[in-house]
Amino acid sequence: MSDTSVKQPVPDGAGLAAPGARTLGSTLPQLILASSIGQLLLGLLLPVAIIAIWQFAGTDGSLFGGVLPTPDRVVSAWWVWAFGETGMGLNPYSGTWFANVVFSTQRVAQGFFVAIAVGVPAGILIGWSRLGAQILDPTVQIMRPVPITAWLPFSVAVFGISGFSAIFLIALGAFYPIVINTTQGARHVERNLIRAALMMGANRFDILRRVVLPAALPSIFTGLRIGLGIGWTAVIVSEMIAVKSGLGYVLWDAYYVGRMDVVIADMVSIGVMGLLSDQLILLAERWALSWRLAQTR
Amino acid sequence: MAEIKLRQVAKVYHAATPIRALDCVDLDIAEGEFVALLGPSGCGKSTLLNILAGFEDNSEGSALIDGSTIGRPGPDRGVVFQEAALFPWLTVWENVVFGPKMQGVARADYEERARELLEIVGLQDFAKAYPSQLSGGMRQRVGIARVLVMRPRALLMDEPFGALDAQTRLAMQELLLKVWEKLNTTVVFVTHDIDEAILLADRVCVMTARPARIGREIPIELARPRSIDDLITPDFTRYKAEIMAEMRSAHRQAETQAA
Repeated sequence: MSDTSVKQPVPDGAGLAAPGARTLGSTLPQLILASSIGQLLLGLLLPVAIIAIWQFAGTDGSLFGGVLPTPDRVVSAWWVWAFGETGMGLNPYSGTWFANVVFSTQRVAQGFFVAIAVGVPAGILIGWSRLGAQILDPTVQIMRPVPITAWLPFSVAVFGISGFSAIFLIALGAFYPIVINTTQGARHVERNLIRAALMMGANRFDILRRVVLPAALPSIFTGLRIGLGIGWTAVIVSEMIAVKSGLGYVLWDAYYVGRMDVVIADMVSIGVMGLLSDQLILLAERWALSWRLAQTR
Repeated sequence: MAEIKLRQVAKVYHAATPIRALDCVDLDIAEGEFVALLGPSGCGKSTLLNILAGFEDNSEGSALIDGSTIGRPGPDRGVVFQEAALFPWLTVWENVVFGPKMQGVARADYEERARELLEIVGLQDFAKAYPSQLSGGMRQRVGIARVLVMRPRALLMDEPFGALDAQTRLAMQELLLKVWEKLNTTVVFVTHDIDEAILLADRVCVMTARPARIGREIPIELARPRSIDDLITPDFTRYKAEIMAEMRSAHRQAETQAA
């Protein structure tokens, strides 16, 4: 055989990190930019600059005549919110940060789980079976233009002021991108892969499970990431109005009592949780699609 | 091993103006015979193979395998696709044992044969690799192994080496000759490469374009076992001249009809 060589996997950025001839001609700034620490520092440049300007623009801990607190006030507000004593005193938020983060995260997780459990099978059905598409697709397309915020009064009327309200909105909001991306993935499975499976004796269910689902997986993960982002939007919106706990509830409540330091600390907390949960999906994707990484290397 | 009989097979695609992709194809393939379907691209030879595989239905005529009408695709007719069509999310081993697993064969009954076939195609060391980590030729060898593991009665190959570089193609042709001479399965091999058709087949069927049918059938009586050394023998050249003349006249005929 003339072609027994395997394509050697080349790690990302190998060209930049490779020692020897390539780096000899490079200048020091180029080397710094090429390193991963250098890239991290580069990414931090803008936020650090904004925070510094924000800090130094303020007088007596605030900007715009007291409306906007400076970063150091936000940090100390967060500290009390996270580690302060609970139950006593004038600060109702003191020591409640972890509990509220857990409330919101749990709701997102529950709603997201429902969205996956319904959205992935529905998407596979719509993308794979003409009958499935004819039955399900019109309903999805009619419902989809109604924004989840418009569902809020409905949700409160049906589920009351409770966590279920939030979970319903999260599930609904995350459902659309999941079902649509899954449909796309299932619809564009390479024809010869299906033919190959048929030729090897696979039945319809085998083909759905062992060909259509794995082939659609990259699209499904795209849907999951978008859906999770919408899930966080939905949890904040519904907690602001329909639930009496969680990051969204604190956000609106703090605004009403004029605690902008808590409002901003809350916003940052939402951002961090959103980022962390997105990283979790990315990790799951990297694990589930490891066959794909072997190819892009 | 299987006997294939096609009588007046035609394929019409329904469009604004119906397209006759195949017209009046008569073909008899004996058990254990290696037949090459040779023709220019777009002449309907892949359509014919798809009908044999059961991927498409014939609009007219009858297509029989061992006396019964060809039905849905199944493991009795192993198909090797042009781009291998391996499942990219499965390893080489998982791809090779996919067929037996789908048919509910017990692991003990396919494992040894699968391992043996991987060895025959020279991929025993790549069982755990993913298709994306293999070269085109290696992928195609997996495609052949995953079909042979099912012990098909007929092997249907759709330009399997068309996308490979010349050197790899020669190696694959020799490998196929070696494997086929051992197994003696019925093979229908679609190609547009004249050398490939003569080197491999017992009989070359030259297909004509518009109307798409089988023009002439040329038995290749080169001694077996064959090897790529046969490519430069006088007998080989004589066959090649004959087939080229045939294809040229078929081409001219199609041109004048189109004009």
